[in-house]
Amino acid sequence: MKSKSRSLFIILFLALPLIHLIIFSYVPIIGNFVLSFTNWKGFGEIEFIGIRNYRKLFTNPEYISMFKNCFWYFLAAIPQLIFAFFLAVIVNGKFKGLNIFKGILIIPYLLNGVIISTIFIIFFNGEGTLNTILGSIGLDALQHKWLQDLELVNPAVASISIWRYYGMNFIMFFGALQSIPTELYEAATLDGCTKMQEIRYISIPSIKKVLFINILLSVSGSIQVFEIPYIMLNGSNGTGTPVIMIQQSMSENRVGFAAALSVMVFVIVLIVVGLQKLLVKED
Amino acid sequence: MSIFKRKKEADFSYMARESLLYKIVRYVFLVFASLFVIIPLIPLIFMAFKTGAEYSSTSVLEAPKSFLNFYNFKYALDVGKLGKAFLNTAIILTISLAIQVTLTAMVAYVLGRFEFMGKKIVKTLFTLTMFIPIVATQTLVFRMMYAVKLINTMWSVVLLYSGVGIVGIYIMLNQLESISREIDEAALIDGAGYFRTFVTIVFPLMKPACTTLIIINGIGLYNDFYIPNLYLNRDVQTFTVALYKFFGSMATPFEIVAAAIIIGMIPIMIVFIFLQKYIYNGLAGSVKM
Repeated sequence: MKSKSRSLFIILFLALPLIHLIIFSYVPIIGNFVLSFTNWKGFGEIEFIGIRNYRKLFTNPEYISMFKNCFWYFLAAIPQLIFAFFLAVIVNGKFKGLNIFKGILIIPYLLNGVIISTIFIIFFNGEGTLNTILGSIGLDALQHKWLQDLELVNPAVASISIWRYYGMNFIMFFGALQSIPTELYEAATLDGCTKMQEIRYISIPSIKKVLFINILLSVSGSIQVFEIPYIMLNGSNGTGTPVIMIQQSMSENRVGFAAALSVMVFVIVLIVVGLQKLLVKED
Repeated sequence: MSIFKRKKEADFSYMARESLLYKIVRYVFLVFASLFVIIPLIPLIFMAFKTGAEYSSTSVLEAPKSFLNFYNFKYALDVGKLGKAFLNTAIILTISLAIQVTLTAMVAYVLGRFEFMGKKIVKTLFTLTMFIPIVATQTLVFRMMYAVKLINTMWSVVLLYSGVGIVGIYIMLNQLESISREIDEAALIDGAGYFRTFVTIVFPLMKPACTTLIIINGIGLYNDFYIPNLYLNRDVQTFTVALYKFFGSMATPFEIVAAAIIIGMIPIMIVFIFLQKYIYNGLAGSVKM
């Protein structure tokens, strides 16, 4: 009797979340895989067309360039993580103004994509913030039409993700640093460590795991870029990304093609996760 | 007071002595970082207080003539239908966060306190979703929502937001570990039954973890654009979508958009000022998985 009610309880408590998970995550992933070999329009008959969707993806330069654009976002993640890390190291202590700085530094993390896009349209506009600043310090030569110049638009838009996401990395690094046992620092002080040695031999090794999680998030995030280029430029001027293309294909009822793109995004994320697992294990 | 102060200072004595150079470098770096955050925001704030003529004739970094010119804010509230959209967001957030937190606590309780067949599989199923990009699922989910006629209703978004995430489970599990097993075992022996034990004893004790989850996911959902833009871009709009439509229509003067954006920033800033501690602790805690 007791064990029966126990099993019933376990099933009852897990049922809803598991059903949700299966319907909204696993069924679509498997379904996408099947649909990516069809030219389904979202209604009507389903016709299998083999790998035609994938061939289109790998041969049309427009689609290839979308995947290449993701690379800019990946590049932006490098200074983003370094910046966030040093910020966390420097904030980890006690000094005047600590809370004010913590407050300011977290602002971008709280803002949504529409707000950030607006801010950076003003920032990168012809007569915007960046060009005004450049002009006022005599660097007129560096002024550009950042969002119209096809060479510059992708790096410019990708650099926004530094501003937007460093805050999250910063908080995670900061949390990891705070959880380092104080004995380690005490021992280091007794041994006469300098601040730099402390960072090198205690702080960095202790947050390796968190660093890996953050790299993982940044890389898989750069494949899924959507909001900023979509809101700022609607993917024009060559700023399209795979997810923007998924959105457009869906609204054009090209569900089969959107499914193929989704499968590609999923596979790339899986590869990144797999590589990550391998690297961490080697350690 | 002076004793108190000395005690506070002693707290950090174990850290390597900071040289004067390090202290200077720290402030320089922090000021630089703060400017990096603030500079892009300044023109937006200026712009929201400028008149149309002023906006087109002055530089973006020039302060407005008066910071008491609230015309743009009034206009944005009247025309942008932001109030209604904000209400929609509030409804969606309240319902989905309530469901999400309850379900997450239930899953964490079962995973944390019971041994049963298939437990590993359940855990793996939840963990793997972390690697399924939400955009890679929407092609089909959209069709499902279409089939059950939920598109352009809040329920589509509520339904998608009500899932249980692995990060939430871990935050709850961490909390559960700190609650002594004896407390709920005693209740069980007293004949309270599993369900009653959970509702009356365990769930109330998990309040801090629930707060953390509500704040972290609340910020995420409040700021989400992809899902509401996909499902709610007609009559019923969330705040982010309304802001996007407002901003996307060429007819709207930019200084009005700036005012609307500032209005959009106010609620999250208020939340932040009161709950800063939880945001820091919560996000940091989610790492210690």
